[in-house]
Amino acid sequence: MSTERFKISFIKDVSKILRQNIRDWGMYIALLIIMAIFTITTKGVFISSRNIGNLIDQTGYIAVLAVGMTLVIVIRDIDLSVGFLAGFLGAVAAISMVSWHLPVYACIPLVLGLGVLAGLLTGFLVAQMKIPAFVATLAGWLGYRGALQLATMSRGTIIIPSDAFNAIGNGYIPDIPGIGILPGVHKLTLILGVLAILLFIISAINNRRKMRAYDSKVLAMHLFTIELVFVSALVGAITWVLAGYKGLSWTGVVVLIVVIFYNFVMSRTVLGRHISAVGGNPEAAELSGISVKKITYVVFGSMGMLAGLSGILFASRFKSATTTAGTLFELDAIAAAFVGGASPSGGVGKVTGSIVGAFAMMSLTSGMNLMGIDISYQYIVKALVLAAAVIFDIAARNRAKE
Amino acid sequence: MEEAIPIVEMRNIKKNFGGVQALQGVDLVLHHNEVLGLVGDNAAGKSTLMKILSGAYIPDEGEIFIEGKKAHIANPWDARRQGIEMVYQDLALANNLDVAANVFMGREAVSAKLGPISIMDEHYMGQETQRLLDRLKIDISSVRLKVESLSGGQRQAVAIARATAFNTKVTIMDEPTAALSVAAIGKVLDLVRELKAQGSSIIIISHRLEDIYQVSDRMMVLRHGRKVCDTPVAGDLDDFNERVVAYIIGARDDFAEGVGKQQ
Repeated sequence: MSTERFKISFIKDVSKILRQNIRDWGMYIALLIIMAIFTITTKGVFISSRNIGNLIDQTGYIAVLAVGMTLVIVIRDIDLSVGFLAGFLGAVAAISMVSWHLPVYACIPLVLGLGVLAGLLTGFLVAQMKIPAFVATLAGWLGYRGALQLATMSRGTIIIPSDAFNAIGNGYIPDIPGIGILPGVHKLTLILGVLAILLFIISAINNRRKMRAYDSKVLAMHLFTIELVFVSALVGAITWVLAGYKGLSWTGVVVLIVVIFYNFVMSRTVLGRHISAVGGNPEAAELSGISVKKITYVVFGSMGMLAGLSGILFASRFKSATTTAGTLFELDAIAAAFVGGASPSGGVGKVTGSIVGAFAMMSLTSGMNLMGIDISYQYIVKALVLAAAVIFDIAARNRAKE
Repeated sequence: MEEAIPIVEMRNIKKNFGGVQALQGVDLVLHHNEVLGLVGDNAAGKSTLMKILSGAYIPDEGEIFIEGKKAHIANPWDARRQGIEMVYQDLALANNLDVAANVFMGREAVSAKLGPISIMDEHYMGQETQRLLDRLKIDISSVRLKVESLSGGQRQAVAIARATAFNTKVTIMDEPTAALSVAAIGKVLDLVRELKAQGSSIIIISHRLEDIYQVSDRMMVLRHGRKVCDTPVAGDLDDFNERVVAYIIGARDDFAEGVGKQQ
């Protein structure tokens, strides 16, 4: 009897959380549903440690672009140039190591720095010259495509000989040697996962305690507990799956660092607040003393740097720079941001959402490939998912306004 | 008569836009803890005059004195440094941010600095915003609510609270009751009274004479870029209305320059 009542109130609570935060939680649930469907249709192959590990490495170079694109979309702009910019900068990385004999530790900062410069150039066109971002970055799309072809013209594909560089896209973090328990499981990955869960719980509890001081609308205790359990279980499950193969990949590490850093900047710093303010109401932001110009430079500069990072991840994964590297990355990144809840009208978008969006889109590709579904159907399915995500988002926002 | 130095004095303000004389030598005086209503037909010059005071426009001629000292106001930041804040008609709020973030927009409290990255003190901003709302008796259930989920009246209240939050000497409100429901208008007017009770000096631009009548101490009428009336708000509403409307539409033009000024 009492367990029955408990069950009912539990279900009520969960549905209450979902209804109140449907926009934040919708895409996590969508990702879980997509993964569950593919796990069933592929008889478990999809959720295997090996496939999930690969999935993360394949998503990495889109995911970092999607993070930067989220900020660009938040300030009501768009950047079409970053795909070929990533391809071109990947080629620069290859050439710098092969022809100029730069060591890896010099090559990476060089490429990231060039990315920032390219981003600032876009920023100059948009902020200073007042060219609409769509047009300015379309020019960049053409220009970097040409630059990529020029860079790879003489030899076609440039093979990258550096093992250290190639490890970024293919290697895994080392394990702690000499622990007898749990053979075949990556111990360091497990430890990192447990630490992450602990950190999350501690900071969530701390935050809640401080919020209570002035805000009556904090989540009720049992709802808060449900949220903690859900997130912890999710992180725990991903950790367990990854630890079952070779552990956390270096690409995974890079993506995690980028997400944690950008999420921190957007949610906790003055710069992030100003970026959101410019996206929400540029005139109001300007009247409040926020320089819209400066924010535009910063956002495009960071986008350029992440394009450099994306180029490095891609070149490293394929151990080479090719003439077609980066083709359509920008559109995948834009789609990931929109699936992840960014709003085309600006001001709204979370870095974490875009990452989930990127993984959802790549899960579709991976799952349908495993099922042997023809590529033409894959595009149509992805089109439906993108459209559904935006329709859902608009519906949820209209409901929230009522 | 009055010995006290006015908090704002604008003398002989002139402004032309191309060939149009928007302001033809307007004087304005605002005393400490006074609510001044500024009325006039469309294109009478009231918004232009206030944009000059808030730094959005630079006058062609004329001087501005803040607490007796000559002030150079060339942009909104100069005005803000002088303690002048304007609440814009189109609500300078970011709908995607919560109430506290809007109140502190552009002057976020910082708890720590890591090189170029400043970490916000969310808890301080939340508490201060709650205190501000309590002090002004503004009824919003949480400072963490996004502005887009608030009613028109609540948004106007947030915009006004934001303008008065930071050592503001003079608050200018441009049509604060436009596009609001009757109930919401009442709340905004209550807020203006509350601000006056707490010592603020306020200039209100409005088309709605009865609103000005309810909260202002004095009213100034502009017509074709000229001051045509400057009178204390007193007497019966209907008489007052009739008299002021006559000045607004130009049926009456017997206001002698200099009468309203302190000599």
